[in-house]
Amino acid sequence: MIESTLPKYASLKDEEKVRLILVGNPNSGKSSLFNSLTGLNQRVGNFPGVTVEKKTGEFRVSKTLKGEVIDLPGTYSLSPRSEDEQVTFDYLNDKSRKDIPEVVVVIADASNLKRNLLLASQLIDLEVPAVIALNMMDIVQRNDQEIDVKGLSKDLGVPIVPMNARIGKGMNELKEVIANFEYKPPKKFIEDHQSKDGLENTVERFDKIKSIVAKRLVDKGESVTAKTTRKIDQILVHPIWGYFIFLFILFLMFQAIFSWSNLPMDWIENGFLVFGQFMSEALPEGVLSDLLVDGVWAGLGGIIIFIPQITLLFTFIAILEDTGYLARVSYLMDALLKRFGLNGRSIIPLLGGAACAVPAIMSARTISNKKERLLTIFVTPLISCSARIPVYTLLIALVIPAEKQLWSFNLQGIVMMALYLLGFVAALATSLAMKYWVKSDERSHFIMELPIYRQPRWKNVFMTIYNKVKLFLVEAGKIIIAVSVILWVLSSYGPGDKMSAIDEKYERIGAFENSSGQKASEKLEASYAGHLGKAIEPAIRPLGFDWKIGISIITSFAAREVFVGTMATLYSVGDEENTLSIKEKMARAHDPKTGEKVYTKATGYSLLVFYAFALQCMATVAIVVKETGGWKWPLIQLAYMGILAYAASFIVFQIFS
Amino acid sequence: MLDSYLSGDTLIMEEVIDNQLSIQLYCMGFLPGEKITIERIAPFGDPLIISVDDTFISLRRDDAAKIRVKRAES
Repeated sequence: MIESTLPKYASLKDEEKVRLILVGNPNSGKSSLFNSLTGLNQRVGNFPGVTVEKKTGEFRVSKTLKGEVIDLPGTYSLSPRSEDEQVTFDYLNDKSRKDIPEVVVVIADASNLKRNLLLASQLIDLEVPAVIALNMMDIVQRNDQEIDVKGLSKDLGVPIVPMNARIGKGMNELKEVIANFEYKPPKKFIEDHQSKDGLENTVERFDKIKSIVAKRLVDKGESVTAKTTRKIDQILVHPIWGYFIFLFILFLMFQAIFSWSNLPMDWIENGFLVFGQFMSEALPEGVLSDLLVDGVWAGLGGIIIFIPQITLLFTFIAILEDTGYLARVSYLMDALLKRFGLNGRSIIPLLGGAACAVPAIMSARTISNKKERLLTIFVTPLISCSARIPVYTLLIALVIPAEKQLWSFNLQGIVMMALYLLGFVAALATSLAMKYWVKSDERSHFIMELPIYRQPRWKNVFMTIYNKVKLFLVEAGKIIIAVSVILWVLSSYGPGDKMSAIDEKYERIGAFENSSGQKASEKLEASYAGHLGKAIEPAIRPLGFDWKIGISIITSFAAREVFVGTMATLYSVGDEENTLSIKEKMARAHDPKTGEKVYTKATGYSLLVFYAFALQCMATVAIVVKETGGWKWPLIQLAYMGILAYAASFIVFQIFS
Repeated sequence: MLDSYLSGDTLIMEEVIDNQLSIQLYCMGFLPGEKITIERIAPFGDPLIISVDDTFISLRRDDAAKIRVKRAES
C-alpha cells in the first residue's frame, strides 16, 4: 500500500486551476470521459523514463476555474503487477507535484459495481481528494437495476456523480461537483489498511463492499447486457466459426483498405501534381525553386498520399478494440500463440503492428511475462506496417496490372494480403525459434477481461485515429522533409567537375527537348547520390536492384516510406515539366546499357520481399532500445531482419528471373 | 479443481493455490465464496472463459488447475 498524500487545500473556491487525475478499471469508460472533457484539446506524450502513453488535456471547469486533466493507465487495484499499473501507482504516490490542487476522479463502471469499488475504496484510504464518476448508468437501467447514489456516497464518504460518459451525460454535474469541491477527510474504509498484506486487505475490502452494494443496489431481474454478450459470443468465439469469422474480418479489412482508398489517393496525387506544376511555373527559376518543388514538395506528396490507407487501417483496429471484439481475438489466438512462445495478448501488438510498430511495441507492455513480452517485441516489426503500404502500393501497381483478377478478386489486393501473411508467418517462425533460444523459468498466465459487447464509441474511435494519424504525419513528415532535402542536394551536386562537364557537353551539341531526360539521368549518375548508389550496387545486384534502388534502400533506413519520397525525388530530377506521377516515371525507367525495363516482375517481387523483412525504421530501433532497456536486442533484431531480407530477396529474384 | 469441470457448470470458488494468481483474480472480483460459471472452453481445452456476475475473464487451463471449487447447490 502507498502512503497517503494529504491535500494541500480545503476548498477549490478561490483557486484558478485544478488538476484532475483520472483513475479507473480497464473498460470502465475512462477514455470516453477524457475525450468528453477535453475534445481536441489533448496531447499524447510519454511518462518520463517509461514509454507508457500519457494523455493530458485542458478544459474549463467553471467561469473562474480552469482544469488540467491527466489520464492514467487503467488498473484493477493499487497492487501493481504490470508496468502500466506501476505508472498509475507511482503517479498517485508522487509527492513532488505541489503546483496546483488536485482531485482524483475515480471512474467506476456502475454495471460492475462490486469490482469497481475496490479501487475506489483503496483511494479513499489513501485520503486523496476523490470524486467517483459512476459511469455506464445507462447499462444499469437497461439491466433493470437501481442504485441509491446518495446512500452510496454517504457510505463511502466521497461525492458521487452518476454519468453516461459516452453520450456526455453527467458532464455538467461532474464539473459542478469539482468546482464546489471541498475536501473532508473521509472515514477509513477498512482499519489499519497498511499493516495488512495484499490478500487479506482485498478480502476485507470486498466483504465490506458486498454489504454496501447489497444495501444500495436493487437488482430486479436478469442482466440483459451479459445475456446479449453471451449470445454474440456463441457466434464470434465459436470453436470453429470464430476463427473463420476472424479471418474473414481481416480479409474484408484489407480489401476495403485497398478499394476505398483509391479515389482519395487519386485526388491527393493529382492535387500534388497540379500544385507542383503551378509552383514550378510561378516561382522564378533557380536553385531554391528546384529544391522546393523537386525536393520538399515531391517528398511530402509521396507520404501524404498514404494517409487514406493508414486512416482506414487505424479506423478498423480502433473499432474492433472499442466494441470488445479484439479481446475475444486474444482469447481465440492464445492456444495457438502459446505454442510459439507468445501470449493471447500478443495479438494486439501483432495486429497493431500492421499500423505502426512503435505504438504496437509499447502495447506489449500489458504482457506481464518477460519472455513472452520480449518475443512479442522482437517479432512485431516483421508484421507489415503502414509505412510499408506506400512501398508495397507503388511496387505492386508497377508490376501488376490493376485490372488483373483472381477468382473475381483484385490481384493487387491479393498480393498485398500475401505480403501481410508473409510477415505474419515470418513473425511466428521467428518466435518459435526464439522460444527455444531464450531461457526463462517465469510462469506464464493469460488472465484477461472480456468486456461486454458495445457499440463503438465514435468519439473515442475518432480521437484514436486523429492522434495516431497526427503522430504518423508529424514524425514521418519530419524525417521525410529532412531526407528529401539531403537527397536533393546529393542528387543535384557531384564530386569534381563532372556535373558541369555534362552541362557543357549538352550545351555544345545543343539541348533539344528529347535529350533533356537523358542529360538529367547522366547528371544523376555523376552526382554524389549516384556515386553512393554505385558503391553498393555490386552487393545488391544479385537481388536485382540497380544503383537508384540502392540509394533508396540507404535513405529508407531512416524510415521505410522514405523509399517512395526518394524515388519521387530521384526521378523528378529529369522531368522538367513535372507532368508524370512517380509511378509513370518508374514504369518508363530503362537500363541505359541493356535497354531493358528496370522494374520487371523479378525485381519488383524481390524488392517487395526485401521491404517486408528488413528493419528499416529508426523509430522502431529507438523504441526497442527503450522497452528492452539496452542495445542488445535491437541490434540482434536489426542484424537478423537484415540477413533475412537479403536471403529472401536473393531467392525470390533467382526464381522469377 | 476448476479444470476438471465442464462448460456451463456453476461453481463456488473456495481457494486459489498460488499467491500471485490469487491476488490477480481477487482484484477482478473472483473471490472465495463467489459463484462462478464456466462460460466456455476453447478447442483442445485451452483457454477457458469464466464469469462472476457480469465480469467475463479468460484463463488458461494451467491456472484453472490451481483454483479449488465446489459445485454450487441449485
